Order: sequence, then structure tokens, then C-alpha cells
Amino acid sequence: MTAVHATTKPEVPVLEVRDLAVHFGGVKAVDGLSFSLTAGKIFGVLGPNGSGKSTMLAAVTRLVRLTRGELLFGGEPYHHEPPRAMAGLGIARTFQTVRLLEDRTVRENVLLATDDHLIRGRAARRAVAERVDQAIERVGLTKVRRLRPTELSYGMQRRVEIARAIAMNPRLLLLDEPTAGMNRQEREDISALMRGLQAEGLTQLIIEHDVQMMVDTCDHLFAMTTGKLIAEGEPRAVVRHPAVQEAYLGSRHGRGHARA
Amino acid sequence: MSDWYAANIVLVQSTMTTLLLALSIQLPLRVGVFSFAGVGCYGIGGYAAAICMIRLEMTTWPSIAVGTLLAGAASFLLGLLIQRLNGLYLGMATIAFTLIIAILAVNGGSLTGGAAGLFGALGDLTTGSILAVTLVVVVVFALSETGGLGRRVDAVREDPELAAAMGVDVSRYRRMSFLVSGLVGGLSGALTILLRSSITPAEVNFQLVVLALTVIVVGGFRSWAGALIGSVIFVWLPKALDFVGEWETVVYGVIVVLAALYLPGGVLGLAADLYHRLRSGRRGGETDDEKGAGGADAGPGAVAGREFDQLAVPGEGR
Amino acid sequence: MLQDVFNAVVLGSIYLLFALGMALAWGTIGVLNFAHGVTFMFSAFAAHLVADRVALPAPLIVVLAAAMGALISCLVQALVFQSILRRARNPRAAEMQILIAGIGVAVIPLAIAQRLTNGAPFGFGSAAEQAQVYQVGGLRLTTMALVVIVVGLGLGVGLAWWLKASKRGLALRSIGVDPETASLMGANRTSLALGTMAVAGALAGLAGALLTYQLGAISAETGDVLLIKAFAAIVLGGLGSQAGVIAGAYFIAIAETFVIVNNWGTWADAVSFGLIFLMLLVRPQGLFGRREVRRT
Ligand SMILES: Nc1ncnc2c1ncn2[C@@H]1O[C@H](COP(=O)(O)OP(=O)(O)OP(=O)(O)O)[C@@H](O)[C@H]1O
Ligand SMILES: [Mg+2]
Repeated sequence: MTAVHATTKPEVPVLEVRDLAVHFGGVKAVDGLSFSLTAGKIFGVLGPNGSGKSTMLAAVTRLVRLTRGELLFGGEPYHHEPPRAMAGLGIARTFQTVRLLEDRTVRENVLLATDDHLIRGRAARRAVAERVDQAIERVGLTKVRRLRPTELSYGMQRRVEIARAIAMNPRLLLLDEPTAGMNRQEREDISALMRGLQAEGLTQLIIEHDVQMMVDTCDHLFAMTTGKLIAEGEPRAVVRHPAVQEAYLGSRHGRGHARA
Repeated sequence: MSDWYAANIVLVQSTMTTLLLALSIQLPLRVGVFSFAGVGCYGIGGYAAAICMIRLEMTTWPSIAVGTLLAGAASFLLGLLIQRLNGLYLGMATIAFTLIIAILAVNGGSLTGGAAGLFGALGDLTTGSILAVTLVVVVVFALSETGGLGRRVDAVREDPELAAAMGVDVSRYRRMSFLVSGLVGGLSGALTILLRSSITPAEVNFQLVVLALTVIVVGGFRSWAGALIGSVIFVWLPKALDFVGEWETVVYGVIVVLAALYLPGGVLGLAADLYHRLRSGRRGGETDDEKGAGGADAGPGAVAGREFDQLAVPGEGR
Repeated sequence: MLQDVFNAVVLGSIYLLFALGMALAWGTIGVLNFAHGVTFMFSAFAAHLVADRVALPAPLIVVLAAAMGALISCLVQALVFQSILRRARNPRAAEMQILIAGIGVAVIPLAIAQRLTNGAPFGFGSAAEQAQVYQVGGLRLTTMALVVIVVGLGLGVGLAWWLKASKRGLALRSIGVDPETASLMGANRTSLALGTMAVAGALAGLAGALLTYQLGAISAETGDVLLIKAFAAIVLGGLGSQAGVIAGAYFIAIAETFVIVNNWGTWADAVSFGLIFLMLLVRPQGLFGRREVRRT
């Protein structure tokens, strides 16, 4: 895992997904999804609850069995690799729910990302420690790095996860609703952070329900419903797309009933 | 001092063998593998060492080595066989494994001495040599708890999926936990039997599983130090509990239940928590402002719900 | 031969009686109660203490033991398991802590009973009167054996039917499948759980009294042995399926009887342990169980 940002040729997409399907019994969580992510851009995925966004991410990181489809990273198929190979490829992700080690400090949680048993030698270790401290600094948690997650606010816990993913020094960063539970200011900080990472050449994919933030942050949007892509392209255009509007408004009414 | 030592030598030795047995149960738990196979391996190690000494007329340490390795191999194979199982099912399968070992011993004919067991396997063991072996094991365990390895082990236990996403080979850790647990369990059995000179199938029973578990639950399952605390408590408690006489076991039960209820990390976990609180408490002022910044925002669901409403003005305002 | 079959059926009914409560608690509220064995034993022991002082008719003793079992089980649930469930970080950790706490709880009544009996078996004194022997076509039957079969099968089938058909049973089963849906359905988890444990405990007490009558006497450790057999029966039949428990209990009893009849008696216990193993490897969801859908 060395710094490999932007070493792929621009014409080869960082990630290519071909006809991806993930079915759970009768539930077609993801059903025939194809897209590709070109290097150095920020991509966003919109979609109502249950549209298969997280499942898509789980498939891309090999955490669920593919019913069908192919995954290519930098042009190389990897859908037969185990989940643990993702770190080596350079795919880092955060999860929709907070997943931190409760008995470890913030810094130790971030260190987990760099716990490659192949890291040997003083210099390498120091470089790793530096990377970790940098990642913590970037998400603004330096002051609390010795506290445990349980002692932090929800928003801060989410930021620990982002730091952990960044510290893996990935070529592709996947974020599943990273700003859920954050206040406006924190969201803007995350948005700025993503821009900063982009300036360093990192390709990113973010799932988020905050449409305004998505439009502001992303270069390219995908819209999903029921496991399928219904629109993609320039963010403003995607958001105005009639099918997208309908999916959201429709789902909003549907949700109203479900919650009542 | 030496009088005390002479009077308590058996307890000192049994503290160490109990520690080893507890470690063999603790390691899989630490990796998130709910396995009690270590107790079965205790039986394998004990029987193998006794057979080596009595039937094959081997000397003490080679017998112990055979017992240890055989138990390790058996445990590793068991791990390969049942690695697909999880949680309670794995736990019960390994208890079944342990009890099957006892039944094999009963039916082993002249090799295992049947229900009466084996006698006269008195090894040439000094307390010093047992201490040396125990120290080696403890050092290896202590190393596995520090640094990156310790973190990875924690991750494999708490959240295997997360660990995999971090590049950890989760199933390798699980397999290794079976191997090491078997080796240490076997070692404990071999040492115990050669100290005591006899073994019967009745010793490898559910009660031994209970004892090993008890030691860890009370001491703490996160670290070798917890196993040590537990071993000391339970080996020396009978001496301390002389005054309750025959109600001693009842006191055990109460202690275990209280620990399971109020000390999820055991005595050691309690100490570690207090230590962390003390340390972070001293720097408390530094963190207060940041904590507030997170805001008392509602949970993710509520926020997501609110965001949908913004779709009415998609990007128009800008 | 016929006698062997009959003995196997009696044995299976005993396993069934014991396993029913355990399966109920595990399959619905997810509590694998390792104190079930001592609940069984201690209920019978308590009834024995009473029967020693006052002469009571057998049915009353059985009811007494069942009540005692319900009481013990409720206490364990309310004082121990409930607070573990409340505090646990995740279901996996809770499962494990409950198992360990159950093992710890089990030590206490076991130690008390061992202390009070000095390790001697105990019974209900008048047991001999109960064991009237009939000869039917070369078959030796006792009243108690017949009662065990009828009660075991009756409760087994009745419970399976109740869980399937009744509204409360359905609510209970939905907890086992999906706690969230169950709470949406208005099922009050805590009180349902307590009620379930009461029923499970009563079944344990009932089994304890009946087995004591059937065997004449039991010892403090009898519960421990049955615990593993019951687990085997549940795994064999499939967790969550009461019909599976019935099949599992009789299957194990028949297999063990077969082993004993063939003079391999020392291997008898290996049958259940081996079956646990085999079943978990070949078909982890059991004969009748459905595959669990794990949700992230
Ligand atoms: N492990 C699983 N087993 C069965 N069904 C599943 C599983 N995981 C997800 N599903 C189902 O697949 C569908 C898609 O779920 P997914 O979590 O991918 O949606 P999402 O778009 O991420 O929604 P949200 O916005 O709420 O996070 C849902 O209907 C969900 O119930
Ligand atoms: Mg999601």
C-alpha cells in the first residue's frame, strides 16, 4: 500500500461494474446495475430507503455474494477475490452504521486501517503513524484521539470512520451515508474534506440522502430505485430528472405510511 | 517463606496449570470463536503424556511435548472441520468434542485404562520448570495482545466483516486460535497429569469446562492477566473460604453470576476501565469543547427523513 | 425387542419433556438457558423436601414441582438474563453472556442440592406404590412410564400446535424471527419473555417430577446429562421447530437404546454428542429448521 493516487491511465475507469445483481431469496436488492467510475472524480448515489445502495456497496467490497455480474478494478476483474483483498487493491469504505472498536481509543481505531502485518521496520512504522495522525487531523479529531468512541458524539464517531478509511491510503473511497447524524457545519466540513482528497487525485463514491450536499459535492450522480439505475450524469440534471423526482416523492408518501 | 512455599507448593503448581487451561479457553473467546475445545485438548494432552510415560516408557519432557503437539493437531483439525459454525452452535459442538474425548478414553481399552484411567505417570517436574514453560506461554499471549496484532484480534472478535474490510484474514485467525488453544490446553493437561501421576475419564467433564470458563469470566477474558487473576482467585479461594466450609461451591456460583452480570470484562476489565477514566479525566478540559460541537443531532433516520423534503428545490436556489 | 422399543419411547419422552422448555426459550426469545438442567433437578428436589414431610398425592407433587420450576426460571430471567439483554452491545455478545451466566447460575442450586443430599440420590418416598407393573403380551409396563409417554407427547404436540396456531404463539415466534417486527406488532418483549421462561421452567419442573417417579430417584447431577441430550435433540430437529424437537428426542432415544441393546453401553453417550456434531456439519439448520436469514 503505497501512494498510488492517479497512477491509472485516465481512460481505464478505477471501478467498473457490469450487470451487477444481488438477490436475497426473493428480494432483488440490486438487479442489473452497470456503471463505471473514472479516476479523480467524486461520484454520488441517490436513492430512497431500501433501493439497494448499501447492498451495491457491499457487493463492490465483496461482502455479499454476487448473484450475477462482474467487478473490475483498474480494468482487472476482482469479483472472485475475498473481502480482505479489498484493502490491498486500494478500496476503502465506511459503513452506514458506526462500526468502531469500543474499547480502543480513536487513534487505535484508525491505526487498525494500517495494521498490515507486512509493515516492517522503524521507518515504515513511523510513516504509518504519521499517516494515521494526518488522517485524524484531517477530520478534526486530533484533540480527542485518546478518547474511546463511546465518549464521543455521534458525528465525531462517524468522522473516526472516515479517518480510518482515509488512513488506508486508498485509490477508491466509498462512503455510505457519512454525514447522517451530523449537523450542518459538520456536513460542510466533510464536503470540504472530500474536495481536498479529490485535489490529491482520490476517486470517491458517496451515498447520501442530503440532495443539496450531493449536488454541491459531486461531479457525477447516480440515482437508484429498487436495485436499478434510473438516471445518471451531471448532478443538477439528475436531480431534476422526472423519474428521480417521482421516485423520491413516491417514496416519501410511501414512507409516511410506513412510519405512521 | 520457604515454609510457606513447602506448604503451598501444590497450590502454586496448580495455579499455573489452571492458568494454562484458562488461557486455552480464553484465546478463542478473544478471537470471537466460542470454543471450549481446549478442555478436550487438556484430556488429549493428559492421556497422551501419560501413555507415553507408562506404555512407551518415555521421559517427562518428550511425553509432554507429544501430548501438547497431539492436542494441537487434534484441535487444528477440529477447527478446519467446524469453522463454518458460529456462536452457540460452535460452543456446543466443542463441548460435544470434549465429552467425546472422555468417552473415547472410557472405551480405549488397555491403552487408556478404561473407566479406571491411568496410574503411575509421575513426571520429573520441578516448580521452576513449570514456571518457565508457563512464562513462555504467557509472554507469547502478552505479545498477541499488544500493537497491531492485538487490534486485529479485537476487530476479528467484535466485527469480523469490518476486520475483513481492513484486510484481515479472519478465517486464518480463527484457525490459528484453534491450533494455539489446542497446544496450550494439551500442555496444561500433560503438566497436570504428570504432576498428579494419574488421569481418569471422569476428569474431562463438563465441570472442567465450567471451571475454565469461571476463571476467565471472573478474571477477565480480554487478557492473559485476567486469566491469571481468575486462576489465583479460584485456586486459592478454597483456602480463604475455609470458614464457609462445604458451602464453598455455592459461593463460587454467586461469584460467577455477579461477575457475568456486573463485570462483563471481569476484574481486569474493571481495572482497565478505571485506569482509562483516570487518564482521560486528567485531560478532560481539553475535550469538552469538541464534544459539544458534535451537536445533539437526531439519529440518522430522522435526518434522512428531513433531507427528502429538500428535493422540492433541487439545486434551484444556487 | 418390543420391550426395547417401549423403553426407547419412554426414554425419548423423558428427553422430550426436558427439551421442550429449553427449545421453547431458545427458539422464541433466543435464550439458551444452561440453568435449565438445575431448574429440572431443583424443582424435583424441592418437591422431594416437601414430600418428605407431608404425604401428598402424586399429581400434587408434580404440580408443586412445575410451580417451583416456573419460579426458578422466572427468577433467573428477571434477575440475570434480562439485565444482560438490556446491557449487551450486540446480540452475539448477549448470547454468549447468557450462556455463561446460565452456567454460573447452575452452579448454585447444584451445590445446594449436593450439599443437602450429600451426593445421595433422592426420590418421593412413596415412589414404589406408584410403579404398578402390568404385563401386556410380554410387555412390562408401569403406570409412570405410560404417564411419561402421554404427558411428553401430549405437551410436545400441544405446544407445537399452540405456537403455530394461536395469536400469542405467533407473537412469540415472531420475536425469535425478528425482534423489531415483533415489537411493531405490539408484542411486549419483556413480559412475553418472562412468560416464556415461566412456561419453560414449569416444563422443566414437570419433567423433573415425572422422571423422579419414573426412575424412583434422581441425583443432583442428572440435569447436567440431560442438558446435552436436549441440546442434541434441538439441533437435530432444528431450532425453532417444535415438531423437530419431538423427532429429535425420540431419534436420540432410539439410537441410544440400540447402542445399549447391542452391549455397547459405554458408547451410549457418544450417540448424542456425535449426532450434534454430524448434524451441525451436514445440515446446521436441523431436520425441520429453516435457514436463518441474517440481516446486516
Ligand atoms: N442481508 C440481507 N438479507 C435480506 N434482505 C436484505 C439484506 N440486506 C438488505 N436486504 C434488503 O435489500 C433491500 C436493499 O437494502 P439496502 O440496505 O441496500 O438499501 P439502501 O438503499 O442502502 O437503503 P437505506 O437508504 O435505508 O440505507 C432492502 O429491501 C433490504 O431489506
Ligand atoms: Mg443503506
